[in-house]
Amino acid sequence: MELLKYYYISKINFKNSFVYVADSFAASLFIAFITFIFVNIWSVVFNASGSEIINGFTLPMMIWYLVMTESIITSQGKITIQIGQEIIRGDIANYLNKPYNYLVYKYASTIGASVTSFFITMFCAGAVALIMIGPLNFDFTIIPFIIITAFLGITLHFTMMSTLGVLALWLEDSRALDFLYQKILFVAGGMLVPLDVFPLWFSSICVLLPFSYAAYYPAVLFVRFSFELFIQTILIQLFWIIVTSLIALVLFNILSKRVSINGG
Amino acid sequence: MQNQSKDSTIITIKNLTKSFKSKIPVEGIRGKIKSFILPKYKKVNAVDNISFSIKKGELVGFIGPNGAGKSTTLKMLSGILFPDFGELTVCGLSPQKNRKKLAYKIGTIFGQKPQLWFHLPAIDTFELFSKIYELDKTEYQKRVDYLIKKFEISEIIHQPVRKLSLGQRMRCEFVLALLHKPEVLFLDEPTIGLDITIKKTIRELIKKINREEGVTVILTSHDMDDVETICNRVIVINHGEIIYDDTLDKIKEKYIDKKIIRIETNNPIIFKEREGITIIKKSTFEVEAIVDTTKVDFNKITEEFLKKNSLSDVTIEEPPIEDIIEKIYKLKKKGNSF
Repeated sequence: MELLKYYYISKINFKNSFVYVADSFAASLFIAFITFIFVNIWSVVFNASGSEIINGFTLPMMIWYLVMTESIITSQGKITIQIGQEIIRGDIANYLNKPYNYLVYKYASTIGASVTSFFITMFCAGAVALIMIGPLNFDFTIIPFIIITAFLGITLHFTMMSTLGVLALWLEDSRALDFLYQKILFVAGGMLVPLDVFPLWFSSICVLLPFSYAAYYPAVLFVRFSFELFIQTILIQLFWIIVTSLIALVLFNILSKRVSINGG
Repeated sequence: MQNQSKDSTIITIKNLTKSFKSKIPVEGIRGKIKSFILPKYKKVNAVDNISFSIKKGELVGFIGPNGAGKSTTLKMLSGILFPDFGELTVCGLSPQKNRKKLAYKIGTIFGQKPQLWFHLPAIDTFELFSKIYELDKTEYQKRVDYLIKKFEISEIIHQPVRKLSLGQRMRCEFVLALLHKPEVLFLDEPTIGLDITIKKTIRELIKKINREEGVTVILTSHDMDDVETICNRVIVINHGEIIYDDTLDKIKEKYIDKKIIRIETNNPIIFKEREGITIIKKSTFEVEAIVDTTKVDFNKITEEFLKKNSLSDVTIEEPPIEDIIEKIYKLKKKGNSF
């Protein structure tokens, strides 16, 4: 019964997300534009290198990699800021007096709402990639595995963002943390370019951190699937999800005593 | 879990204290840098050592000016805020230790923080809440049908909430808050922004739900008509301290010292000004006067008047409750005891 309520929370958010379909399409146009820019940049880089493969990636793989990372990362909006704002404005009052866990509620809501925007981004950015570069050499039987790792990536992205969001109870704002996190994701999370293009010492550090398991590994599996890498990825994703969600829950339990909502 | 005491006390508060820390703003760039490294805070006592208890089924108005500590107290009672000091129990539970368990027993309406999904029909939020409160399907259907009928919203529950008027939305908010049959209903400014007709309807419905279901209502409002119409007890709070706690009638009895009387007679009126009576308007058959009840006995004056005149019509006006409450705040400021 307890888990069932979170399912219904996801469901209503999924339904509600259709209200914002036009908005999601508008946001995805920007992602499509970014894809267009990167197609041009990588085309120049590949032509200049005279090779068809750079660090294990062909040009289509490089572009479809970007389509996947963008779809995962942009699907759920800025949860850090959202949680921070709910704390600052006092809207959290409407959640804390309900028989559910606030963070699990937020997770269920996010998952429900992000399904639509994930596929819209995939569709818009994918269309640009398809028209300009062509299809990816893709085995459709791996789709269920990609869905699993992408789902875990979205979950990890959420748990990391919510941990930072909860810190708003202490810092009284979360925008600076969000800015920092997004920039880390760009680089250490492999959001814009695969970690493989960085110097070995840097990418070796990045794979030890949770950021790369939100988008980099699911996207690598999407363009270069191997069952061994899939198993390794989902195990480490689960590990980081457990670690970050525990940090978020413990922090929330400690810091929720500091909730200060002045006035109505 | 503690048991509710035998005298049907549903809320107990003992020496409840809550303060907030706020950063002291500093002028100038140097000051701002210094304040960033070594911030200075000032402590504001939002609730200062208050104690009271509420019995099951009571309709309590919790009133006070902005920043008095009303909403803070309500949020501590519903487990949202943690007190610095003191004890409180609601329905036999500690709101802070048993927040989730207590959530099944209380309903809340924060007038400025709606709970309905803005873009979806209200019925969707009702269904979601039935799952959140783990209501049985048949039980939910029965309850929602009853409340929809009671709050007369059958015509609007399938329309997106954004298309409803504020009054219609508020009626839906009430259905939402009552869906799980709460024992206590916390209402924080439930009539804010509503027109007079809707306010009247909402007030009637609150009283009806209290009568029929025995639900205890704690209401905060700046609209004294809300308090006067709904509540049988009023707690006045200012600067975090309780400055009055009794029935509304007793407030009036204690603090009303002036009444305005308007009389029409069939005979040329016989009525003279004297100490304690100030005539505002007088014609042959009509008089309007202010009677100072601290100086003259109002009943005696009326009796005397009736002996000398043949009465056609009479109206007696008391000062509005806002004025009385304002008077209480002022008296407290001057340090008068109650």
